[in-house]
Amino acid sequence: MTSIYLPGNSWAHVLPASVKLLFVALMSLILFQAESLLLFIAALLLAVACYASLGNPGLKRLLGLKGLLYIGAIILAFHAWTGTMFEGVTMILRLAAMILLANFVSITTRMDDMLEAIQPMFRPLSWFGLSGRKPALGIALVLRFAPHMLEVYAALQEAYRARTGHRNSWRLIAPFALQSLRMSDNVAEALSARGSAGGMADHLQKPRKNTGNGQ
Amino acid sequence: MVFWRKGVADGANSSALLCDPGARPYATFEEVGMTIGGHQILDNISLSLEEHRIGVIGLNGSGKSSFVRLLNGLRSPSRGTLKLFGQIASDVLKELPRHVGFVFQNPDHQAIFPTVEEEIAFGLTQLGADKRESRDQARRFLDTHGCLHLAGKPIAELSEGQKQLVCILAVLVMKPSLLVLDEPLTSLDALASRRIRHMLLSLPQKIVMVSHHLDHLESFDRILWLEDGTLRMDGTPSQVLPAYQADIDRKFEAVQEAEAF
Repeated sequence: MTSIYLPGNSWAHVLPASVKLLFVALMSLILFQAESLLLFIAALLLAVACYASLGNPGLKRLLGLKGLLYIGAIILAFHAWTGTMFEGVTMILRLAAMILLANFVSITTRMDDMLEAIQPMFRPLSWFGLSGRKPALGIALVLRFAPHMLEVYAALQEAYRARTGHRNSWRLIAPFALQSLRMSDNVAEALSARGSAGGMADHLQKPRKNTGNGQ
Repeated sequence: MVFWRKGVADGANSSALLCDPGARPYATFEEVGMTIGGHQILDNISLSLEEHRIGVIGLNGSGKSSFVRLLNGLRSPSRGTLKLFGQIASDVLKELPRHVGFVFQNPDHQAIFPTVEEEIAFGLTQLGADKRESRDQARRFLDTHGCLHLAGKPIAELSEGQKQLVCILAVLVMKPSLLVLDEPLTSLDALASRRIRHMLLSLPQKIVMVSHHLDHLESFDRILWLEDGTLRMDGTPSQVLPAYQADIDRKFEAVQEAEAF
């Protein structure tokens, strides 16, 4: 089990989650409106500087995102093929800056802070008698379990490689989907055991359907 | 120690609480059965639970996990009557997590938050405490259990034993009167398993624990042996455990003979 969050007491950890989220939202708006290559490069350098400010652990997390280079290469190849290389470069720089900044917020923000920061966005749900805590917790859970899913896939790859000598195959998709569903069922059950996503202030809970998980 | 402020966590909702945590027996099964997708998981279970430590044994697929999941409302009976803490279980589903803590086999699937402190604090926020309050109380709670040094650590970086300990503490912080554990020691090494067992036996809470390790249940007050969804035997460890072991030996010999034939 791995975790996105990088524990620490840096300036970024101390900054309120709402400020960090607002900053990322603002940067996204600017980067999507702008067309300046220099601005994109500056944003990318700013993102890299943010990771560097966390020291070695921060830079290690940055290197952990090198898988994105493959996606970048595919996008670039596509643009080269269509003869729109400049657009391809700007798109990659724009995306890279945004992803790095968003990930930087994730690695420096505790999940309960994140939950508190995003919960107000769902406040309008209360007008319809729905809980804003549930979708907020849902987003937080995605952040929490995304790295775990990658681990599950890596374990499947290892098992496949041990028996076939090949690292990847489309055959891994089905077991991965099944394991993901089983895991989501287990997590939902663990959450229900502690009073469900809405907490125990809400008295509307209905019994969980028997899903056949476990005997 | 007060782990959450009176009037917040215990607050407005406590007046609406129906369960009596001190009820004896705390669980009563009357001809309870459960069917999932046309498959009968439990059948005609009738018993009362009031002992302090109850062990549940049985082979895989015998219905142990479903049986213990009935105790905190994770599953509902398809037939019969189940009373928990003096109330019909289906009437108090929302309330049950307050009274019944549930510990799962795999801590990786139970821990919802990435760090220890957040995971402990989550139970308190579920009860109504605000974030800052729950953080402070979580740290105090960890301190009383000698685990304050783990507070800021990512759960991912803990040993399996520490992870399971955190999962148990995350449940205990909600002050349940009953702790249900579904094979909590399966993935632990001998030392971690012993430490967790030692801790469990020192708790004031009533415990219902599923285990395949019969030696873990020797000091319990009562053992329930489930087989094919029915209660095969119910008694003290000295009555049930040897009978269960003998049954396993018989089944093993039968399989050996069949394979030889």
